[in-house]
Amino acid sequence: MNEMPDGRMQLTRRVLLGRAAGFSPGAIALASLSSQTAVADPDRISSLAAKARRVIFLTQSGGPSQLELFDAKPDLHRWAGKELPESVRQGQRLTTMTASQKQLVMPSRVRFRKCGESGATISEWLPSLRNVADELCFIKSMYTDQINHAPAMTHLLTGHQLIGRPSIGAWVSYGLGSDNQNLPDYVVMISRMQRPSDQPLYDHYWGSGFLPSKYQGVKLRNSRDPVLYLRNPDGLPPEVRRTMLDGIGNVNAKRYEETGDPEILTRISQYEMSFRMQTSIPDLINTGDESESTFELYGPDSRRAGSYAANCILARRLMERGVRFVQLIHPDWDHHSRLTSWCTARCRDTDQATAALVTDLKQRGLLEDTLVIWGGEFGRGVAGQGNWNSPEAGRDHHPRCFTIWMAGGGIRPGTTIGATDEFSYNVADTPIHVRDLHATVLHLLGINHETLTYRYQGLDFRLTGVEPAHLINGALSG
Amino acid sequence: MHRYRQQNRIPRSAWQIRNPARQFTIALIILSEIAGFGTSANESGLVRADEFRSKILPILAENCFSCHGPDAANRKADLRLDQREDALKVLSLEDPDAGEFLKRITSSDPDLMMPPPGANRKPIHPHDVDLLRRWIGEGAQWSGHWSLSAPVRPTVPGLAPHPIDAFVLHSLNERGLSLSKPASRTTLARRLAFDLTGMLPPKEQIDEFLKSESQDAVEHYIDQLLNSPHHGERLAMWWLDAARYADTDGFQQDATRTNWPWRDWVIEAFNSNMPFDQFTIHQFAGDLIPEANSKSRLATAFHRNHMTNGEGGRDPEESRVDYVIDRTNSIGSVWLGVTLGCCQCHSHKYDPISHDDYYRLAAFFNSIDETGKAGREAGPYLSVESSTVARALEESDRWLQRRSSEEVAAKASAEPRFQQWLKELWQLAAEEPQRLVAWTNLPVAALESTEGTTLTADSEQIIQASGKNPVQDDYRVVIRPGNSRITGIRLEVFPHTSHTQGRFSRGRAGHFVLTDVKVQVREQGSSQVRDLLIDNAVADTSDDPAKYEGYGSIKHVLDDDPRNGWSIRDADQTKPHVAVFALAEPLLLHDTESLVFELRMRSTLGDANMGRFRVSVSDQAGSTVRSVEQAPIDRLREYLSSGASQADLPDHLLQALREQFLADHEAYLTARRNLDLAARQKDEIASAQKVDVMVLAERKDPRATHVLIRGVWDKPGTQVSAGIPSAIGGWTENAAPDRLGLARWLVSEQNPLTARVVVNHFWQMMFGQGLVRTVEDFGVQGEPPTHPELLDWLAVEFVESGWNIRHLLRLMVTSQTYQQTSVISPDLRMKDPENRWLARSHRFRVPSWMLRDNVLSTSGLLNPAIGGPPIRPWQPPGVWEENFMGRFRYEPSQGPAQYRRTIYAFWRRAVAPTFLFDSAQRRVCEVRSNRTNTPLHALTLLNDVGYLEAARAIAEATITQQNSESDRIQKIAERILLRRLNEQELSPLLNTFNSTKLWYQDHPDDALAFLQACNPNDLFVKHSADTHSSDDSAQLAAFVVTAASIYNLDEAITHE
Repeated sequence: MNEMPDGRMQLTRRVLLGRAAGFSPGAIALASLSSQTAVADPDRISSLAAKARRVIFLTQSGGPSQLELFDAKPDLHRWAGKELPESVRQGQRLTTMTASQKQLVMPSRVRFRKCGESGATISEWLPSLRNVADELCFIKSMYTDQINHAPAMTHLLTGHQLIGRPSIGAWVSYGLGSDNQNLPDYVVMISRMQRPSDQPLYDHYWGSGFLPSKYQGVKLRNSRDPVLYLRNPDGLPPEVRRTMLDGIGNVNAKRYEETGDPEILTRISQYEMSFRMQTSIPDLINTGDESESTFELYGPDSRRAGSYAANCILARRLMERGVRFVQLIHPDWDHHSRLTSWCTARCRDTDQATAALVTDLKQRGLLEDTLVIWGGEFGRGVAGQGNWNSPEAGRDHHPRCFTIWMAGGGIRPGTTIGATDEFSYNVADTPIHVRDLHATVLHLLGINHETLTYRYQGLDFRLTGVEPAHLINGALSG
Repeated sequence: MHRYRQQNRIPRSAWQIRNPARQFTIALIILSEIAGFGTSANESGLVRADEFRSKILPILAENCFSCHGPDAANRKADLRLDQREDALKVLSLEDPDAGEFLKRITSSDPDLMMPPPGANRKPIHPHDVDLLRRWIGEGAQWSGHWSLSAPVRPTVPGLAPHPIDAFVLHSLNERGLSLSKPASRTTLARRLAFDLTGMLPPKEQIDEFLKSESQDAVEHYIDQLLNSPHHGERLAMWWLDAARYADTDGFQQDATRTNWPWRDWVIEAFNSNMPFDQFTIHQFAGDLIPEANSKSRLATAFHRNHMTNGEGGRDPEESRVDYVIDRTNSIGSVWLGVTLGCCQCHSHKYDPISHDDYYRLAAFFNSIDETGKAGREAGPYLSVESSTVARALEESDRWLQRRSSEEVAAKASAEPRFQQWLKELWQLAAEEPQRLVAWTNLPVAALESTEGTTLTADSEQIIQASGKNPVQDDYRVVIRPGNSRITGIRLEVFPHTSHTQGRFSRGRAGHFVLTDVKVQVREQGSSQVRDLLIDNAVADTSDDPAKYEGYGSIKHVLDDDPRNGWSIRDADQTKPHVAVFALAEPLLLHDTESLVFELRMRSTLGDANMGRFRVSVSDQAGSTVRSVEQAPIDRLREYLSSGASQADLPDHLLQALREQFLADHEAYLTARRNLDLAARQKDEIASAQKVDVMVLAERKDPRATHVLIRGVWDKPGTQVSAGIPSAIGGWTENAAPDRLGLARWLVSEQNPLTARVVVNHFWQMMFGQGLVRTVEDFGVQGEPPTHPELLDWLAVEFVESGWNIRHLLRLMVTSQTYQQTSVISPDLRMKDPENRWLARSHRFRVPSWMLRDNVLSTSGLLNPAIGGPPIRPWQPPGVWEENFMGRFRYEPSQGPAQYRRTIYAFWRRAVAPTFLFDSAQRRVCEVRSNRTNTPLHALTLLNDVGYLEAARAIAEATITQQNSESDRIQKIAERILLRRLNEQELSPLLNTFNSTKLWYQDHPDDALAFLQACNPNDLFVKHSADTHSSDDSAQLAAFVVTAASIYNLDEAITHE
């Protein structure tokens, strides 16, 4: 059985030796603590030097428009309203929403500017992000195989369009374990929105697939129960819970003596951890100890619990506590119509807080070993959906190119990788597939994507799948 | 040492389907006489054929097949090592080390070594190399993979009276191990109940069993469990996971489907012990069998349980192909134990199944009369009127009656308070009539504009915009009402001469578009704000959104979507207008808090920012904040100011005031909400009287099936016709190449896999682990069976018994192997930590669905009804709402419907039931169990309201029966653990009880709150400070806590 590489055993020891009277530690064979749950075999993860220890994935769900945010094509106005040449389109499949419509070019609805010393192009809809441009590495040549939300998001987050694989956070948690014994390894936060979403967020996006369920992302909710079932029932204070756990733990310890089943010791320690989580999670969420300047940095929305901006502050707090993988999900980037009002609304939700997170991590010395990723499941097409010339128009899904950016641990700051053609339609330079992104993320964490595998149904699965994946070398710092 | 004797067939008659235990014993005697001793030891040292399978083939598969296996497309150097004649090209039988094969795998030269450096595989272990060398030297004997040759019934070795024990003892003896002593009666009672019915049976049944010492009692107990209708539910839960059954489509819409009559078909099939071959045939081809009827058609919903994708913009044909693929894969996971998924894109790298084979198999499902659409267009359907609905309807009606009379009573008991309130109103009218007013214009404390509009308030608190006129803007109006209560906000908009054409704004057209509003509370000195939920918005006039690109309706200001909102263009733009927003919950504001009302004007075209407006607040509930009509108390003030008397108060005004009062009266509101819930529940069940179930039916013109290049739906390759993979046995002669033929083949003698795979499923179910641990994979990459002869013996036995499931299960659970203790000695743990050789019983936590069912059963809450439309167990609020941004709401079932078994729980694919922390995902077929042990599980069992309610029920039932506190705790333990606690166990729980009781005696409010929290359905007497002594409440609450502790004991949640 595998030894745990992450110090869990110590936890169990401490719990056993520390807590609850009535235990006779001598009677408990500590050597037998190996749990039945699987942990990645450390031999199989080659010991690359890790540049990042933690990840924040700012997932923008719905397909943000690269044409409005990062991928400036100032010359496109010459093509305004003209049909996209077949030489560019090359039979690209469309969703059935626009399949019957002529592909008339709609130039970007917004102005761009070159920012910072790196000269990255960033839209005027993202004024705050411009201030941290020199920290970021843009990848403008991302592409995916999927054209619809659920399969594309599943692909981005699990490496395969079909449901059933572990999410990237689960893989990382499986591969690296935890630095914090009082919080889950993998935490997910969804921005609180009022608009019923056309694209629901499925729990498999942060699921553990065929990995043991302990690796699945734990959703931090904006409610009285920030983690499901965390809160004691009304009228049951921690004092009573403590005496319950003492009773349960003591009887369980007796049961262990009788049955010799080491799983009971794991159970005792997990019940103890559940008790500690009842303190550690409220502590995490209570941002009352943050200074006023923090809220000013992240913007007015950060005062509203559940907002993207408030979640960005929590993401930083989670990094400070050594949580391995934090995933924020901001929905509603699926701008098929009224691009100007709709897309700017999402920019307003996120821009200041996103930039603040990068700044804040840097100020606190966390950015050097924290990898920050910003991106969605695909991009948007150059053709207008609806009448291209009307304010009503939006853009349809586009898998052949989209932009993401990364910053922090192991990332070369102030760079731009890859380029698209003059229509932001095809990748013109350095194509980067989703699996290349996955391989690079794992690499930065010190994991060889080819050796982090899990045997299921007779096959050795890995995040990057069967096709060869390549590191994005240009994005890596020295 | 002994050798096998000739194989002997067991007399079939003794193993007949309804074989009572006595006949069984006779058969065993015969068996042991004819079987003799046996052993598989091999004295010559030669690598035998079965050792090739179990030892050599796995090494080759693991290290070589991914480049030198069955997949021609990815084969390197044109060399394959999965067939002997090809392999011989690189093997030297005379001098193994001279052969290219051994040279390569022992080389350290990066250019020569195998597996090559780039393959990320470690070199083959020297021990394995030695084995390969010996194998080659002995002639490289070859045989096919074990699972691909048909099982033949082996001779039962040894003298053990039970064939399972005989095989198990035989392999134990070889390792110097033996079976453990039998488990205690109580352990056995719990183990059998979990395995055969998924929960403990009623107390009387257990008592009867525990009382008797005889072996007959065990068999009688087993029969009782097998004949219980809950047995079918238990097996069905396994099958539903395998069948990826759910009540919604999955994907974007995740629309509700009504396939639950199929779930009831499964339960009934198991309860009537339908032979597994028939069970298979009906689900594959219930529409094609000669005796097809609506029931057999219903069975075919198995192959429609896949997810359906109705995402806008998706090509239905792509989805349809996905469904065909999903069905094909389900055959692999559930019947064949072969991973087929990878063959969608390429030939299998390890098992002899080609890309073409895969699409031949898929062809059986390619001509279903379906379009690939989802939601209500996912035909073919079968219209079903289920007989189970009547019961549920009657039950919900009874509950509605109860809630209805509670509502009437609540109204009546509120009447004196209403009269009192009226009196106070009169007094107020007499003394301070100016306070008798629904809406107050509070002084504006601050005004903010995001884009720099100048906002100023006059003495009437009317706010005027001037200065900069940006395209879009957000205004924030801050007020500090002090200590107060707020139920709603009113927004008045005014025309003004400074506006375009004297209308509402300074925009080009003079109109305004309010896209969204928000209400927040800010605490002085705190950095955080909280959002308040507005649950209703009305206006005296709104535009028709269809006329103005989506802008117009007042309702849309609540949806946070800038592409719609409220505007007034068609009504008179020179008159004031009004909108009213109701808070979902009344807000109690402290004097250190301020209220922020935010108006967002972010329409696409913009240039429509409101120019003049006023914000007021109300403390009145009901119609005041939910309509733009005059508020009842304003009407009352006017009525009184006209000098009328109280006695003449017109009925309609009295009624309006009463409604106003009730809308704010918590006790009445609770009764009202409960009534509404009960009414909705009944409506929902009534609508289930006739439902459409997705089933299979062939279309008139069959579709041609093509191999899909790299598995892509619109890249067809060569055409193929329906057929089975040639490596898995031959096709049944004369069988039609349709689903019926396929199903018959699956359960035919030609197929070596199905019986073994299914027997292994049942073995896993009874013993905790399969004989083949990789239940879903019997291929070369899967684990070989720990007891191959036993597996084959059982497979043949299963088939020859007529695929009799109950016979197979009875056979398993009557064995000593099953009935031994799970206690692990240190020695045994060292020798066999994973319990491969079955020297003890497996000890594991039972699945969470059984935990829930078991607390229902042991607490006496269980509603044992079988079948019917889905129910919704307790679940924390907001879980569906979060993932769907409010599109779906979860309303837990009310009344007796809440206490149905988990198999009836509504299963939303996007968000599985939260209390099932270890469940299959129900997205694709799943057959392996998932047994984790995490803090989140502990939290669920400790805090889920369902568990607390059960703890209260069992505590209440016990408290009346017993006198001493110890006796009561023992009584609870006896019901849950089936045994009394010993002193060492009782004392910690007594400590818990005593210190909890002390706490609650000191904190009587906590006790009341806790008892209320354990009473979500109002089943129990409500404790309140007036009706019960605080000692009573503290005592009961402490028992509930103790009962909850016992429910959380490792023993209580473990299959021992």
